[in-house]
Amino acid sequence: MRVDPHTVSSSLLPLLFTWAKPIRLRLPDMAAAASTSSAAASASPSGGGRGGPAAAAVACACPICLEGFEDEAYLDTCLHSFCYECITQWVSIVASKHEEPLSSVKCPLCKTKSVSILHAFDGKSFTRHYIEQDQGKRHLADAHELISQFYNTREISDDTASVLQYWKQRKYLRRNVWLETWLRREIQALTQDENVEAIVYHIHGMIESFMKAQEKLHTSKQTSPELTREEFRSLLSDTARPFLLGRTARFVTEVELFLISQRNIDAYSRVRMQRFKESASHIAREQDVLPQDRPLEDHYLYLLNEETDCVGGVI
Amino acid sequence: MQASRARLFKEYKEVQREKSADPDIQLICDDSNIFKWTAVIKGPSETPFEGGVFQLAFSIPEQYPLLPPQVRFITKIFHPNVHFKTGEICLDILKNAWSPAWTLQSVCRAIIALMAHPEADSPLNCDSGNLLRSGDIRGYQSMARMYTRLAAMPKKE
Repeated sequence: MRVDPHTVSSSLLPLLFTWAKPIRLRLPDMAAAASTSSAAASASPSGGGRGGPAAAAVACACPICLEGFEDEAYLDTCLHSFCYECITQWVSIVASKHEEPLSSVKCPLCKTKSVSILHAFDGKSFTRHYIEQDQGKRHLADAHELISQFYNTREISDDTASVLQYWKQRKYLRRNVWLETWLRREIQALTQDENVEAIVYHIHGMIESFMKAQEKLHTSKQTSPELTREEFRSLLSDTARPFLLGRTARFVTEVELFLISQRNIDAYSRVRMQRFKESASHIAREQDVLPQDRPLEDHYLYLLNEETDCVGGVI
Repeated sequence: MQASRARLFKEYKEVQREKSADPDIQLICDDSNIFKWTAVIKGPSETPFEGGVFQLAFSIPEQYPLLPPQVRFITKIFHPNVHFKTGEICLDILKNAWSPAWTLQSVCRAIIALMAHPEADSPLNCDSGNLLRSGDIRGYQSMARMYTRLAAMPKKE
């Protein structure tokens, strides 16, 4: 079984907390249920025998091994918890009985379908393991992982000259045909979700219509390039913020840089990687001012190691 | 292998702790083999099996609880979903609807529920199934009661 967890960034933490709340709330209920379960069982021994095995659940124990949790893992819809190893073993057993690859798994306790397992929650981040990955049919590829890592580091941009040129010379009037595909991959990596069509449609549509409006303006009156740029950035920021939360500002910058580059995805990825490597040493010295929750050096080591395969693997 | 042992041992301790919790189910582990269990269950009331005591044999695979235990009736029983000769049980949770969250105890409970609610449409015992399907409830009940008396009740002097 191939497990390739994608670390979800701190910007998605608000989401996690809304998920985590019901878990905390449920604990006392479960304890109460466990203490009354034996009484309920003897009162109606023949009742609901086929309904479900929930009566076997004991508070704070994995329903599969019946021991205390080891790397507690949650199914993403019902949030029932298991040891990570127990639930992944169960998933592989279920998968072995199906001919076609699994995209979801039914909860052993409540039969609700889930598409992923959340685990390794350390208070700041957690890891998400998609059921689909097990069949080698991973929709979030190494390239996504790389993008995600890239966004975790500080913004590196000293190319102000070409930025200004882009807006001054109205280069944006030349449409970048790769934009939509590029956006999709970036957003997939940022949201750790495969199905981002709605967001892509929304953001891409906004950019397209902005550019079209600029084209019309071109013929009538002139506005300053700085103003156009500001307008574009704030519009894009407003459009993306509901989906990308804390990553929005960085995302806006990245979109702009991609548009300015006027390259295709493959070429741009190479340039970005280069930009990244060059400033790696520069950033490492400034580590004190950076948030300490993630060891930065790890990112760079990772990137440098992965670089050769990844650049080639980019779509 | 190790995981199944640990889990069965856990269930064993639970059974010892709650011995009196469910008077209708008595689970006994084989003295020398933790993968062999016997269960003694009481026939549910208001069914033809009332008053009977039925023995079940559990044979537990090494991948338990990822795979279901094999269970069969040792005591003869006249029931559409139990094979009359082999004691094999037709119950979804023992086959494709198995979930690792079931325990031996809860499987026994499910079997008791099956005794009270036979599924005549997937019969292992066709005679029994046909009686129910043709609507001859009295015929089914008297046959089942007769076999309960013959096989599942202590002989009276």
